[in-house]
Amino acid sequence: MSKMTQRKSLDYIKKDYVRTRTLTGSWYLASYKFKFNITHMKPFLEKLKEKKLIGNQCSSCNRVFYPPRQVCGKCLVKPDKWVDIRNTARVSTFAISYLKDPETGEVQERPMVLVHHDGADTTSIAELNPEIDVKDVYVGMPIIAHWRDETVGGLMDIEYYDKFIDDSDDIRYKK
Amino acid sequence: MQKVGIVGYYQVKLYSDANYGRYEMIFEASRGALDKAGLKKKDISTVISCTNDYYDGRTISNCFTVEVGGGYMADESKVEMDGAHAVLYGLMRVLSGNHNLAAIWGGSMASCYPYHTVRLYETDPTWERSLAYVNDVTSAGFQMRAYMEKYGVTAEEIAKVAVKNKKNAAKNPLALKEAQLPNITVKDVLDSGIYADPVTELMVAPPCDCVAALLLAPEKQALKITDKPVWITGVGYNQDPYYLGDRDLSGCKSMNLAGKMAYNAAGINDPSSEIDVAELFEANAHEELIFAEELGFAKKGKGIEINSAINGDLPINPSGGALGGNPPCATGLIRIIEAVKQLTGEAGDYQVKGAKRAVASGQVGMCAQNNIIYVLEAN
Repeated sequence: MSKMTQRKSLDYIKKDYVRTRTLTGSWYLASYKFKFNITHMKPFLEKLKEKKLIGNQCSSCNRVFYPPRQVCGKCLVKPDKWVDIRNTARVSTFAISYLKDPETGEVQERPMVLVHHDGADTTSIAELNPEIDVKDVYVGMPIIAHWRDETVGGLMDIEYYDKFIDDSDDIRYKK
Repeated sequence: MQKVGIVGYYQVKLYSDANYGRYEMIFEASRGALDKAGLKKKDISTVISCTNDYYDGRTISNCFTVEVGGGYMADESKVEMDGAHAVLYGLMRVLSGNHNLAAIWGGSMASCYPYHTVRLYETDPTWERSLAYVNDVTSAGFQMRAYMEKYGVTAEEIAKVAVKNKKNAAKNPLALKEAQLPNITVKDVLDSGIYADPVTELMVAPPCDCVAALLLAPEKQALKITDKPVWITGVGYNQDPYYLGDRDLSGCKSMNLAGKMAYNAAGINDPSSEIDVAELFEANAHEELIFAEELGFAKKGKGIEINSAINGDLPINPSGGALGGNPPCATGLIRIIEAVKQLTGEAGDYQVKGAKRAVASGQVGMCAQNNIIYVLEAN
């Protein structure tokens, strides 16, 4: 083994000998236009305006996608059927993130959830009502979509998800 | 599969804020690997680099590293994933029969940019980014909770993985100094700052600075270069769907399929007894358990029952794993290097006795979306 790259000792670095200079800079693509197809989700967006949810279904594997997907990755075909989806859902899994306001230093606790809508086979990312205590959230919690007053035809029409009491569970327990 | 040998490697020590320029670090790694194998620049016939434009702060970032990375008047290509994927690319080039020596290097300097912020831009810009702040840590929270919920695993048990790896890292002189914690306890891990509940700070692999390099040669050349090459006898790779909502987060299907592919190539029937040591890239503590289960070392949900200490039945991450330092783009490559060290008996304080066959894995993406695994065997 040659000694070409061998350092004399590691102390060489630990001492105050500064080998680098830092240049502060920024590297960002100032703006970007995200161009995406809406052909496969037009009916979905129109239904959102009416505060209704639909998902698309792959006729090959029968999976129902919410939000609608352009292509079913499993079968590599376009899902071609539309299926009604209820606005009730369950928490599939969640994580609580802590967002710090850079100005006030105030830390916000926000649960991020993966929502599994009744009638869909996939889940989507969403936020819960900020008034829900994070300690009350659990996996499998029944939730319901809370719509904005004015809908524009986008996923942001669902402002957040609210807690609700699921009657179907009562029926199950009574049995 | 035709045998391909690992004939040289080099890893720069991990630093949280390295007193290194980027090019010097790449040079030290690529030169160090050549020196270890006793080769010269002209022996390199192909170079695969592994960096990421966003991590390097420039576009087409490999065009700046031609000289230091050994790519001068050689053919060079970049992989913008994990270092372990760059090894796959190098392996394929060697197997094509056109190349006698592939040099692979990968790494970046996480001290130069906010790593977890960059990972925010991994989510789908049209649907997901506007809805919620989800990055690698938040998605790890999703996965950890789904895993705990499905199999009844507690946070304490997952913290034990972090404790084991941080203690192992203390024995590894190349691990990140901040992650070398020989006296850490489960309570320390659970009480460290919460990143995204239930994931705490010490359960997340700390991003740091490093470059690592590896040399691959076909069987004939490998035996000419060194007496004890390490053979790649199997490789498997697979990927999960992109959307988190399409996946069963309590497991990792792609790792399962990748493992089957690699075991099939290497002729392994009972992984838990035939493999002596595993080096798995766990970006978060719970991933080590999920991977171990998917790779067949234990039953689903029983990953914690494996005796994975250095002197245990199946040592996992004796080097400290990614929890001992996670330099973006280099971690998977370092896992392979650590597995090679175990097989050649160069691991020092964390040497697993009599290791003959090892697995090393790499991953990229949220909740380990894309996985790759190698089966390595001593000569």
